[in-house]
Amino acid sequence: MSNGAITTQQATCLGCGCTCDDIDIVVRDGRIAEARRACALGVAWFGDGVVPAEIRSGGESVPLDRALADAAAMLTGARRVLVYLAPDISCDAQRAATAVADKLHAVVDGVSSTTVASGILAAQRRGRVAATFAEIRNRADLLVYWAVDPAQRYPRFAERCGERAAMPLLSAGRTVIAVDVGNRHGPASADERIAFAGADETRAIGALRSIAAGHTDGDAAGDVAARAAQLANRIAAARYAVIIYDAEPAGDEPLADRAESLTAFAQSLNARGRCSLCALRAGGNRGGAEAVLTWQTGYPMTVDFSRGVPRYRPDDTAATLLRRGDVDVLLCVGDVAVMRGFEAGGVRRIVIGPRASTAAPAADVAVDTGVAGIHTGGLAFRMDDVPLPLRPPLTGPLDPAAVLASLAARVRA
Amino acid sequence: MSQLRITGGAVYDPANGVDGDVRDVCIADGRIVASLPDSAPRLDARGMVVMPGGIDMHAHIASSSVNQGRRLLPEEHTLDPAPAPALVEGEARSGTGGTIPSTFTTGYRYAGLGYTTVFDAAVAAASARDTHAQLDDTPVIDAGFFVLMGNDVYLLAQIAAGERDRARDYAAWLLGATGAYAIKVVNPGGVEGWKRNVRTVQSLDDPAPANGVTPRAILETLADAARVLGLPHPVHIHCNNLGLPGNVATTLESMRALTGRPAHFTHLQFHAYAGEKGKAWASGATQIAEYVNAHPEVTGDVGQVMFGNATTVTADGAVEYLLHASSGRKWVNVDVELETGCGIVPYEYRDRAAVASLQWVVGLELFLLSADPWRMVLSTDHPNGGTFMSYPELIRLLMDRAWRDERLKGVNQKLLAGTALADGLAREYTLGEIAIITRAGPARQLGLAHKGHLGVGADADVTIYSRNANIAEMFATPRYVLKGGVLVVEEGQLRRAPQGRRLHVRPGYDTAVMRDLERWFERYGTVSFANFPVANLRDDAVHDAA
Repeated sequence: MSNGAITTQQATCLGCGCTCDDIDIVVRDGRIAEARRACALGVAWFGDGVVPAEIRSGGESVPLDRALADAAAMLTGARRVLVYLAPDISCDAQRAATAVADKLHAVVDGVSSTTVASGILAAQRRGRVAATFAEIRNRADLLVYWAVDPAQRYPRFAERCGERAAMPLLSAGRTVIAVDVGNRHGPASADERIAFAGADETRAIGALRSIAAGHTDGDAAGDVAARAAQLANRIAAARYAVIIYDAEPAGDEPLADRAESLTAFAQSLNARGRCSLCALRAGGNRGGAEAVLTWQTGYPMTVDFSRGVPRYRPDDTAATLLRRGDVDVLLCVGDVAVMRGFEAGGVRRIVIGPRASTAAPAADVAVDTGVAGIHTGGLAFRMDDVPLPLRPPLTGPLDPAAVLASLAARVRA
Repeated sequence: MSQLRITGGAVYDPANGVDGDVRDVCIADGRIVASLPDSAPRLDARGMVVMPGGIDMHAHIASSSVNQGRRLLPEEHTLDPAPAPALVEGEARSGTGGTIPSTFTTGYRYAGLGYTTVFDAAVAAASARDTHAQLDDTPVIDAGFFVLMGNDVYLLAQIAAGERDRARDYAAWLLGATGAYAIKVVNPGGVEGWKRNVRTVQSLDDPAPANGVTPRAILETLADAARVLGLPHPVHIHCNNLGLPGNVATTLESMRALTGRPAHFTHLQFHAYAGEKGKAWASGATQIAEYVNAHPEVTGDVGQVMFGNATTVTADGAVEYLLHASSGRKWVNVDVELETGCGIVPYEYRDRAAVASLQWVVGLELFLLSADPWRMVLSTDHPNGGTFMSYPELIRLLMDRAWRDERLKGVNQKLLAGTALADGLAREYTLGEIAIITRAGPARQLGLAHKGHLGVGADADVTIYSRNANIAEMFATPRYVLKGGVLVVEEGQLRRAPQGRRLHVRPGYDTAVMRDLERWFERYGTVSFANFPVANLRDDAVHDAA
């Protein structure tokens, strides 16, 4: 420590779903000066910790009371409200936001319905086979990266539990296989590579499933089948295999049935050996939103309270409701930037979250709050569903959970 | 000062030797008191039955695994929407039911059944925060949980190294760090075996599944730890070989291994099958009941199977794979953080099915053949054998022989020939005995001095039933329920839903273990050591030696 620097140890980073909780944050003069052990993505996520602290309504700065009164009036008078759980809020804020949605008979949704709905629905049809980080780190003698190199979007995954992690419990070595699908490649450093054309992915997974089920030929012919057989045999020979894929790839749309097909394949491998599937997830406590919605309502996304009880409406996502004009007021809790690209013409907007006052277009009511993990504490979930505490290095603007509790007291059902 | 005199009811308070006597129960400030001034408010309970609040000592309501199960079952939730109750105080929440209800609905429904204390029986240490958060959203009930240790790799390493004192210190640290109430063992060594693809536990002395550490050593270490630490509840054991024919031998071997040591054997119905693999199943309930009857250090709960939908959710990953493979139902497996496992398969117990019918009979035999109701208490291992909503029906089966015999005729008879129940068991539980297996017994087993009875100083958790010839209806709809002196159910309707208390322990230990643990976390773990303990629990520990 020097120059009045204050260090917060073991802070938790929500920059990606790895949710590394070993970050030492050095604060000087009220700004984050250093994020030790953080990757580039984490350093960018923490930034300097300076966020606006505005409260605005109708285009002008107002006291919190006035903003909450305006928001409450808007919500109470609405035809139909959408509550949106955006990133960078703790589970405590997610709980409070879901309570508001319940009281208002609103719809509540979050990022997952846009990014991982097909995986969630597949898991609800079929189940899943998963392992938490420590199991992967200490037990997996075979890692199969399916069309993903974690270095780009999950920079410390390999170090936390992948090929760069120590593996003192493993007596044998660890093998890494990169499965390159079209232009989506596995890690360059992999021990072995198998490539499929993008158009062949479905056939390749189908062949893997057939082989795992004991059929030698599979559905795919020739070359694809031969490479699938080679891969299936490698995986089946492992003591504990982990197949890793990106559940939320940036840019290009994931194959709709990739999650389901890989799940089925991984499940079937457990007839004789052990295999788990690891779904890489992006940051901001997305898993927390699913967990909270599940325990409060029974469903992990797209919950409609309009009949006074939670109903599951996986086809009526936030994006769909906004596009169709089915809601007239949006209450976004968290970083509204994630809603960029949503068509929401004619919808009045209340934003309670980090940088709410800078939203474009401007929200009707904006309450700037702190960022979970930087300014506010609470609970967040890692991508493997392990819950972690948040240790905010800074005090900052309002805590969204507290703002929502005040708002809930003002709205009428 | 809030006061209430419950007058004129027939009081069943077995811990204080009261068996249906008509007397008043006085409450002040959330506790039972000896007397109140005549001016105190009264609740007229004439003609009614008064018992302490129900205590469920083994259910699955708030773990990470339970939430995985909830997420798996949208089709059930859709069929059982749960509107917000009409509370006179505080915000009410809507939810969904099914075999794994949402958290608010769980709290409301338990309270509506007259249950005021519930323990989640299987929480992975790494996920303890998740459980506390879910319990924060589970109103009315006082709640705690048991933390899973029987396959924890650090603990196994200490046993392998002969460091049993350090293993005990670790157990103590883990209880305090997670805010847990008791030590839970699930399939000792067998879950680690499942992760290492060693799928069977041959005997209590089989070193293969857990890399050299036998189930016997795990059971002995943790039973001794609970005893030496002076925990209010002894080690809580889910034996090896759950659900397999012939497993009664394993269960008896486990009981004998701990002869003379206090131990709780849970959901014994799932561990009381005679017969052998590949051959006919048979009931082993008589053998279990005879052993328990003769060994006062042993306690158990039944884990009754009830016909209808259930969801099997357990740390015993291997058994869930078998259920998935045999039933073809959807399946979740999660291997958890070098600590434990998680397996989930939705299931239906059908009275047309031979094995389910045998399971139903085995459970009832355990109830009816156990001589001491204080040591064999009611559970369905919710939601594994059936949900907690089926407890009233189960109580009717125990109290009403004619009804039981009628139901017995309607189930698949294939495996029932020669069972004690088929041969005729005349026993009918009395209301006093029901009060033991649902209140006083669990409280005694859990070491909850202030619960499960209505003596002076007890928590004012009280359930009042209107008498009804149909016992199931009587127990399904209590007329009044008080929780900590607050009237939560009035005229059969939930009216108030206060926050319950968290029940946890904080035993003392030699802090030298911390240095070793910190190194272990650094080498093998993926959560920072400093971030592992759950901080700031709202309520004081029940047992605090730290």
